[in-house]
Amino acid sequence: MVNKSSILELIDERIIILDGALGSLLISQGLPAGMPPEIWNITNPDNIKRIHKEYFDAGSDVVLTNTFGGSRLKLLAHKQGNSIEEYNKKAVELAREVCSNEGYIAGDIGPSGVFLPPVGQATIEDFEENFAEQSQILSDAEVDLFFIETMVDLKEAETAVKVAKSVSNLPIFASITYQKTKKGYYTIMGDSVEQCVNVLERAGADAIGANCTIGSDDMIDLIPQIKQFTQLPIISKPNAGKPQLIQGETVYQASPKEFADDILQMVKSGSCIVGGCCGSNPEFIKEIKQLGI
Amino acid sequence: MNIEKECKAAILGGNILLAKELAETAITQNLDIYEFIDAFLKSIREAGDLFEEGEFFLPELMRSAEAMKAGMTIFMPIISKDKEDRALGRVVIGTIEGDIHDIGKTLVASLLSAEGFEVYDLGADVPISTFIDKAVEVDAHLICISALLTTTMVGQKRLIDKLIEKNLRDRFKILIGGAPVSKHWVEEIGADGTAENAVSAVKLARKLVNR
Repeated sequence: MVNKSSILELIDERIIILDGALGSLLISQGLPAGMPPEIWNITNPDNIKRIHKEYFDAGSDVVLTNTFGGSRLKLLAHKQGNSIEEYNKKAVELAREVCSNEGYIAGDIGPSGVFLPPVGQATIEDFEENFAEQSQILSDAEVDLFFIETMVDLKEAETAVKVAKSVSNLPIFASITYQKTKKGYYTIMGDSVEQCVNVLERAGADAIGANCTIGSDDMIDLIPQIKQFTQLPIISKPNAGKPQLIQGETVYQASPKEFADDILQMVKSGSCIVGGCCGSNPEFIKEIKQLGI
Repeated sequence: MNIEKECKAAILGGNILLAKELAETAITQNLDIYEFIDAFLKSIREAGDLFEEGEFFLPELMRSAEAMKAGMTIFMPIISKDKEDRALGRVVIGTIEGDIHDIGKTLVASLLSAEGFEVYDLGADVPISTFIDKAVEVDAHLICISALLTTTMVGQKRLIDKLIEKNLRDRFKILIGGAPVSKHWVEEIGADGTAENAVSAVKLARKLVNR
């Protein structure tokens, strides 16, 4: 691999384009109901590589590995706990195979799927072990950065960031899932934007932001609120609108063009790392690229 | 003692100990337990409203539901002796096979139970036959099927089709839930309803069992 600048240096120069959805594309390609997508790193590697390549070709600077549910607690729920190392290592290899010298590979880390009391019975120590193991594997497999995302519980997110920080010096992007309530943006656990930003910044995140659940139109107003509490780079990775079920098919309402227009608004209000979450695809990334930002 | 105020403090404060203490006091001092139960119910509905308004979040709502359950557990033996139909109805609930999303389903189960339904929570990744066997076994009024994935939603349809095939469809009301579920899907598969969130789900459940 040639020497390339850290993603953090690149952020100083220009807007970074992430990839879009992976899980929803795998489902449309036949991933069976209930099967953890990480299994496809082994059984259907070409599907995974093809999607990564389509994103790079569309203009993504960064793709996220197919490891969103690749932590032990999450895989255990599918009785796949023994395969954690294999799934995570292979995921990084697949992304690396299609990554050009200019591209970056982010080790994707999603929620553990278990909850602290009173919602569940998990402990902070459970989170620590869980994320230490996965981030160590991803780091050993030489990802360029960590992407901790879709966190609905700030304590879990904070733990993941701290643990990732302790296993390696790689940049850490941390993204929270907010809901839009009558009172404003909050996680389902009740963490405010200010709390999330402050806690993640203190924990050592290098970029912070939001992804999933809310569509691009609803995320526009969130970005200035994040901006108000931090100088760190801000990530915007919204869904492609709100999912609607039409004749048994899930359809996301935003078109690639509308989505890209919303992203432009977010860039104007301070976001510099942008991409798509559920319902998006390489077409959405192409539209963002065409904005010329 | 101001029963309504105390019960409200216990439930909205998510105070399990206080809820238990109140229930025990009611019994030992021979007070009207139904006055307590009604006050508990009023409070849990208020907690639900606060959740809908964005004043309460998941932890607060879960704590309120837990406090409510703790109090109701103490009253239960007396209630069932008094009048069997004080319970609103029997509910079999679970997340459909292939889907391990638990949180929304558990919340609905907690609130239904807090409200006074007899709830059989089968957990997540539940086979269709398990749903049906349990519903028949307990003579359920309601079956609640959760699915968070567009790929597992079809399980909701398969369950209903299975009930029709076994000539059991009319025995149960069926509520379906999960992020991708819409009114349109309800109609398409012949379910009895869906709700935007856990609080509305409980309201709908009451309506479906005519309480």
